[in-house]
Amino acid sequence: MEEISALKTGLAKANYICGDDVAATLAVARRLERPLLIEGPAGVGKTEIAKIMASCLGRELVRLQCYEGLDESKALYEWNYQKQLLSIQVQMNRRGADELTHSLFGDEYLLERPLLRAIRSDKPVVLLIDEIDKADEEFEAFLLELLSEMQVTIPESGVVKARSVPFVVLTSNRTRPLGEALRRRCAYLYLQYPDIKRETAIIQAKRPNVSAHLAVKVAEAVHTLRESETILKKPSIAETLDWVSALEALGSSDLTPDGIRQTLGFVLKSSEDLEAGEALLTQGRRDPNGAHCGACDHSTKA
Amino acid sequence: MTEVYLEKLAEFSALLRQEGLAVGLGETADACEILTALDLSDRETVYLALQAVYAKSREEQAVFRRCFDGFFVSVEKRDALRRRREEEARELARRRQEAEQEMQVNGRSIDLREDLREVYVRMGEDKREQLRQMLEKMQGNLQRSPKLYGNFIRSVFMRFLLEQQMSMEDDAAVGSGELDPDMALLYRDISQFKETDIPRAAALIAALSRQLDAQLTRRRQGQGHSGKLDFRRTIRRGLETGGSFYRLDYRRKRRKKRRLVLLCDVSGSMLQFSEFALRFIKSMTEVSESSRTFLFSEELREVDPFALQNMDAFREYVRASGLFGRGTDLGGALEALTRRRPAPLGPAATLLILSDTKTIDVPRAAQALAEARRQAGRVLWLNPIPQRKWPYMASIQTMASLCQMAPCSTLDELARACRRLMK
Repeated sequence: MEEISALKTGLAKANYICGDDVAATLAVARRLERPLLIEGPAGVGKTEIAKIMASCLGRELVRLQCYEGLDESKALYEWNYQKQLLSIQVQMNRRGADELTHSLFGDEYLLERPLLRAIRSDKPVVLLIDEIDKADEEFEAFLLELLSEMQVTIPESGVVKARSVPFVVLTSNRTRPLGEALRRRCAYLYLQYPDIKRETAIIQAKRPNVSAHLAVKVAEAVHTLRESETILKKPSIAETLDWVSALEALGSSDLTPDGIRQTLGFVLKSSEDLEAGEALLTQGRRDPNGAHCGACDHSTKA
Repeated sequence: MTEVYLEKLAEFSALLRQEGLAVGLGETADACEILTALDLSDRETVYLALQAVYAKSREEQAVFRRCFDGFFVSVEKRDALRRRREEEARELARRRQEAEQEMQVNGRSIDLREDLREVYVRMGEDKREQLRQMLEKMQGNLQRSPKLYGNFIRSVFMRFLLEQQMSMEDDAAVGSGELDPDMALLYRDISQFKETDIPRAAALIAALSRQLDAQLTRRRQGQGHSGKLDFRRTIRRGLETGGSFYRLDYRRKRRKKRRLVLLCDVSGSMLQFSEFALRFIKSMTEVSESSRTFLFSEELREVDPFALQNMDAFREYVRASGLFGRGTDLGGALEALTRRRPAPLGPAATLLILSDTKTIDVPRAAQALAEARRQAGRVLWLNPIPQRKWPYMASIQTMASLCQMAPCSTLDELARACRRLMK
């Protein structure tokens, strides 16, 4: 219990506002030294968790961004083939064949990629494997040895065991279902968009100069946009913060229809969404004086 | 941790396994370790910690919540639950006894399957009353011709109870995944969608087809260094660097061309499902190199691809074509398709049939399907009728014996069927 509370306080100090579910899952994953698989819609703060954990634990963050076609040569290691070739040509007549072959597979010719760097580091790091769903299924299978045994096998030089156990965070947007084998090796966390109260707290923590009133109004408006079926790309938390910053830069202390029109592009990023969003937040909510929308002041609603 | 707690935890793991979660010894050991190490005293934190260990997806989290709430209950709650179950068991026994007395003709029990007898026991009082009244009305006839009317009563009972059984199964299916509206929509029968669900369903289809597209793209992409070395290119490139093979070239996998022929039932009952299915398949741009779509009810018509670009256009096209609201003649449609020249089917073609198998002249349809199977490389049938109802429908059994049939009553099943298409 203390461990969970301590972690929650640490996260709050690093300006990461989260619920008990996040803190408890992080504590469990850390205690069991298990990788943590985080799923959820884009923009709910999955990647941020890894960054914040690195900052909380005082560790270096090693990041591997996954994409289609990613293989072990980009993720784990690669032999510097060109350097090996040059070395063969230079030393061909100076050394015996066996000795030369053996020398070609040393550290000197090894190009270390993020996964190898994370497990060969003397100090434990936080390893972020971002958007694992974008990588191929073969790569997912390749990760299994690393995630369960904390070791990797390099055929030419043998097994490399982790010098320190990294805190591994895998994130996925669920663009494809991940394999059972990978899931079983991880602790699991599903992140959802925060409710209005928590989003207000996030705005206040990340943008301390913004008035409490504006923070609430923005959080309510973003919540309305996310709930609407007409908005296809739901606003992320980072976009909410950008919107608040834009409103702040314009000197707005309230969410007015004019302010919404001028700055909605920070939170909605397609013409269809912009049109629908503007209609949703401003239409039919203007008060008789035309100064404020009903969403931003409940007293004018009546 | 004491042995008692360990035993309880093992029981809980077994319960989760029974509910379909992939729980092994590792998970139980982890749960044990975490409960000991973190000294968790309040129920909600124990729940969160165990959830992180046991549930490995959002769907599993929903199952876990249900199991946890059922397993870890206070003594008072458990006693109340036990009392309620005992009460229910007593009530059921009483109803069984009543049913035994009521389901009698000429002093003998009606010959019915055990599961149908159980349906009679469990169905509502109003439904039982309907059967009782029917029996009462038939008393006079029964005395006149006991054998004839005895058989008639048995068949009425059987039909009525089968209908009740299907509706009870439907009720059991509805309500799955109530925790999350999106998940509920994914597992809800497409025919039960309301007008208000359609935009959300469309968004869900778009997300699912993006998932499938992503999977397909990955399958078709060059596999980087894992392919075979292309010696010819490597040697030719090597000439640029004085004969040293400084850069290596790898072979790329060739793309296999496939043709998809869609045969889509747009008779009254099938329109909603066909809309969703077509939307799904069309949005999977990578499923096939080319595709042709045919719509049918009583006759067959090839559809202009532009008419399928959005749901409104599709609906308008179907209504304007005169196909909507008519009966279904699958046999005629398949015959027209297989006789068409130039032939739309062929060894490289996959025929995808979207229909509920409800057609006139089933034997003719079966014969035409066999011919279509001979002409096409592969035939896959997407059936919107829930699989649990298949045993009750003879036409489904006939068609399923002739081709691969996939249940597609929900969006989740539709996505799974589309994945099968890629294999």
